[in-house]
Amino acid sequence: MFSVLSYGRLVARAVLGGLSQTDPRAGGGGGGGGGDYGLVTAGCGFGKDFRKGLLKKGACYGDDACFVARHRASVLSLGVADGVGGWRDYGVDPSQFSGTLMRTCERLVKEGRFVPSNPIGILTTSYCELLQNKEPLLGSSTACIVVLDRSSHRLHTANLGDSGFLVVRGGEVVHRSDEQQHYFNTPFQLSIAPPEAEGVVLSDSPDAADSTSFDVQLGDIILTATDGLFDNMPDYMILQELKKLKNSNYESIQQTARSIAEQAHELAYDPNYMSPFAQFACDNGLNVRGGKPDDITVLLSIVAEYTD
Amino acid sequence: MSPVFPMLTVLTMFYYMCLRRRAMTATRGEMMNSHRTIVSNSRTSPLNAEVVQYAKEVVDFSSHYGSENSMSYTMWNLAGVPNVFPSSGDFTQTAVFRTYGTWWDQCPSASLPFKRTPPNFQSQDYVELTFEQQVYPTAVHVLETYHPGAVIRILACSANPYSPSPPAEVRWETLWSERPTKVNASQARQFKPCIKQINFPTNLIRLEINSSLLDYYTELDAVVLHGMKDKPLLSLKTSLIDMNDLDDDDYEDKDGCGMDSLNKKFNSAALREGPNNGYFDKLPYELIQLILNHLTLPDLCRLAQTCKLLNQHCCDPLQYIHLNLQPYWAKVNDTSLEFLQTRCTLVQWLNLSWTGNRGFISVAGFSRFLKGCGSELVRLELSCSHFLNETCLEVISEMCPNLQDLNLSSCDKLPPQAFNHIAKLCSLKRLILYRTKVEIEDYDMIASMIGAKCKKLRTLDLWRCKNITENGIAELASGCPLLEELDLGWCPTLQSSTGCFTKLARQLPNLQKLFLTANRSVCDTDIEELASNCTRLRQLDILGKDAMYKFLLNSIS
Repeated sequence: MFSVLSYGRLVARAVLGGLSQTDPRAGGGGGGGGGDYGLVTAGCGFGKDFRKGLLKKGACYGDDACFVARHRASVLSLGVADGVGGWRDYGVDPSQFSGTLMRTCERLVKEGRFVPSNPIGILTTSYCELLQNKEPLLGSSTACIVVLDRSSHRLHTANLGDSGFLVVRGGEVVHRSDEQQHYFNTPFQLSIAPPEAEGVVLSDSPDAADSTSFDVQLGDIILTATDGLFDNMPDYMILQELKKLKNSNYESIQQTARSIAEQAHELAYDPNYMSPFAQFACDNGLNVRGGKPDDITVLLSIVAEYTD
Repeated sequence: MSPVFPMLTVLTMFYYMCLRRRAMTATRGEMMNSHRTIVSNSRTSPLNAEVVQYAKEVVDFSSHYGSENSMSYTMWNLAGVPNVFPSSGDFTQTAVFRTYGTWWDQCPSASLPFKRTPPNFQSQDYVELTFEQQVYPTAVHVLETYHPGAVIRILACSANPYSPSPPAEVRWETLWSERPTKVNASQARQFKPCIKQINFPTNLIRLEINSSLLDYYTELDAVVLHGMKDKPLLSLKTSLIDMNDLDDDDYEDKDGCGMDSLNKKFNSAALREGPNNGYFDKLPYELIQLILNHLTLPDLCRLAQTCKLLNQHCCDPLQYIHLNLQPYWAKVNDTSLEFLQTRCTLVQWLNLSWTGNRGFISVAGFSRFLKGCGSELVRLELSCSHFLNETCLEVISEMCPNLQDLNLSSCDKLPPQAFNHIAKLCSLKRLILYRTKVEIEDYDMIASMIGAKCKKLRTLDLWRCKNITENGIAELASGCPLLEELDLGWCPTLQSSTGCFTKLARQLPNLQKLFLTANRSVCDTDIEELASNCTRLRQLDILGKDAMYKFLLNSIS
């Protein structure tokens, strides 16, 4: 009886949870030792509102969006964007801005209109392209872009706002992004406001993004996610899940990404759990407990040999 | 047990047949590669496979809506697999031309058409695409995603742009053409015109566009070329005479029969003395000239070969005051120019737009022609003439002192220093530098110079001038009070809060056309000022229906 219930819960969760998978097999070309690196990437996510529908145009979870793209065989790139939900009160769909931003970044990467060592350039160009729409595109979002230069084994990143990435090596976090916030729960964000609200709406320039570059090694795990993950799951829990990652198969990465996202999703709705978000709020004088219901997007990548 | 076996056999056979059939036909969910080969299951040889290709590259075009460095609404989106189709609507990932409808024909700066333009030439824009493989085309499909119906002609070229050696002969053949027709729906469609068979393989296709009947910008997503690798077996179609061919059969005679051979013919033949041209001898000279005014250029050249009298009339330079060679861009070359040179010494309006590419006209040929015919030139159209270089501009500035109208749009191969020669043209009244590489860093400085020196300016097009600010606008508004037409579309650095639009409205009462396309800072005050001060305004482009209603309300009251 109990097992039937738990099984039913599992099925229900899978059906209602807005599960979506991306399958950007990041391999290609002839392989050999000591050569180019590749990324095997899997994504998973949950929109905050179940009723919004299960699959929304591929790479969107609620108001979040993400992309994975490659340019020829030399560069891989991925990114996440978190649409600011407050726009909904003004009749603007927040997922449009983040979705279009990520799709434009994807196009830019595919067509090679960027410099690998300058991921802020991708953000800037993408933002400029968004301004080219004849129908004004309104909204705002954070953004985090990660670019892997295959031959030089360097990872270049750009982060604007409170989404971010972690690089895990040997069970420890070796690189991470910094959150950019103006004040509590108000991250740096790219935005396009309606004309009458132009001075009033918070709008950060893409140049305000943090940029870092560092070398990566085979076996490094790169986790790129929106604040829905980091606000609900502290590092040690994420690392615990990542320990279960056995190999660089796409299936196992997919499995791990899903378990991380699921766990974060569960914790988000736990009213008694002391989430990192609650902890931060308490530190700032707000007496709260519990998780933070939010859209969750997780992109999990492993640096592997470039094979195909 | 026993009835099971025959049933199993039947079922297996049935299943096998169904599987085979599914494998033959393409499924809808198939991923679209840029190139795939379908083996035709008709009775033709299995070696003659049909090749389906998307465009590899956009190599040339006359205009587009987007900025040069952008991916939005630019012509390069036409290459590759479709981004948007079959969705309908306005998407930045499509290819969009610069104009639509008749707005630009109705504004103060609209230029008059050339005389003698053949009625079947209605193309306003073009785009040339290359494909990976040369094929004998069987179909060309255009995926249109918004306001379809602008394509009026499709041509194929015999030259392979990717071959390392230059081609021996470059031929353009019209695969399909039709008069502009209005398509009532604005929805996406896959345009599949019936093209004619040609006898050479091609991987260079050209689309010609007429947007005059459109209600809004047409947006194109991709072009698909279907063709056979090997020459298809001769079908009955090719032996039929295509009536369109006769129209397109532009004067090959022009290249062949030069004046010299004609002169020789007339000298050697034993012609009777005295005129013998029937009623033509009774008509006054001017009347025959008037009759000949109605002939198109190829007909004029053919008529010149009929008899000595008509030869004299047809070679009269007065017939060539307007010379429009744009409709014949596929054939005009150095020899044509040389042939026409003796007749065109009085030419005032010359249209060489779209001509001369792919080696048809050389710098020497053009220079020679201008040296012979440039002295009376008043209007020179050289849009998309990619053979132009700095020397050509130098020749223009030396040989055409009376030039008033110069159009160099889309001549993007001209180096920036070439434009210095234009400074020598002192009578210039109209200059078009759309999509050229002329170096302008500071538009405010340009605007203040214009405000200082061009007091009689009537029309100024500053569309997509990235860094013009309210200072430049202020100088323009105070310096050029006669301005009738001002295009400030997509100038993001213009902010209404600086008062620049109000200044424009108050100081330019003659404005008939004002484009503030995509400027999101235009506010109610600006609209009220425009409505009350610019009473002649006929074309206004501002963002938002509400703004437009406000303007109309204010104009009435």
